[in-house]
Amino acid sequence: MQMEPQLSWYLALSAILFTIGVAGVIIRRNVIAMFMCIELMLNAVNLTFVSFASFFQDVTGQLFVFIVMTVAAAEAAVGLGIIIAIFRNRESLDVDDANILKL
Amino acid sequence: MLALLFILFAALAVGCALAVVAQRNPLYSAISLIGVFISLACLYVMLAAPFIAAVQVIVYAGAIMVLVVFVIMLLNVEHEDSRRTRVGFLLPAALVLAAVLIAEVAFILVSVDKASFPSSSSSDIGSTASIGSQLFTTYLLPFEITSILLLMAIVGAMTLARRARELSPNARVIPGAQLLAANIIDPSKALDDTTAIETDTVAEAAHLLGITSPRDPSKRD
Repeated sequence: MQMEPQLSWYLALSAILFTIGVAGVIIRRNVIAMFMCIELMLNAVNLTFVSFASFFQDVTGQLFVFIVMTVAAAEAAVGLGIIIAIFRNRESLDVDDANILKL
Repeated sequence: MLALLFILFAALAVGCALAVVAQRNPLYSAISLIGVFISLACLYVMLAAPFIAAVQVIVYAGAIMVLVVFVIMLLNVEHEDSRRTRVGFLLPAALVLAAVLIAEVAFILVSVDKASFPSSSSSDIGSTASIGSQLFTTYLLPFEITSILLLMAIVGAMTLARRARELSPNARVIPGAQLLAANIIDPSKALDDTTAIETDTVAEAAHLLGITSPRDPSKRD
């Protein structure tokens, strides 16, 4: 009997990828690595969108993925600009060093 | 056959994602992240979404990761130093995350197990034509808002990455370097003397200004 991939497989993979991304944001202290973990979480959500779009035979989910990718590109540009500004002022990419707003 | 392909690409994605978190060098993390993006693009092809797969490779693996690698190279990041480990604080967070993941996956596998994909041999869902026609009719407003968002991102990124002072054309640009106006360092100089004094590091600038560096490691709590 041929096994076909089911919807739950894709959803489980998406959950695993998202959790790895969350763990990365918590564990890593390098701000660029945290940025990449956020991209990983966005991609996990995109996988959910595409699986449901394919499951319900509806193109709306894929359009949402398209919009999410645009937002991710804008986020990359602004986020890396902020990273460069932090590095210029603090000479460090460690998020623990950017604590000047902390009480 | 499809199940084997799914297992292959899912294992590749999870392995590369773990490598993103585990690598200490950000450049290796970036290359592992490209692996995640490529394997997700393969999964999108299996889900009958070829346009999204192509955009994933072009935009994510192409544009965004080139930007990230460019910044890593520009800032010359070295290995993350492991002097301050916060394992005591992280252990409960990790346990909570693991519990959430197990609950999530168990719920998915129990409740959605019966669902399998409809046979999509004849549908045109996911083709470029159907996505384009929906994007320019039903979802025209989000599309236009996206254009404004991209404009704001361009302006914001330029404002953030720009230096505060005008530079002469032959000035050296060093990441982390500071430019100070002359009258800050020597108040006896006239206010309209706009000569810039360049230092290479924050510590040097602080020394010139006669203050201790805010990043003095001995004062860290």
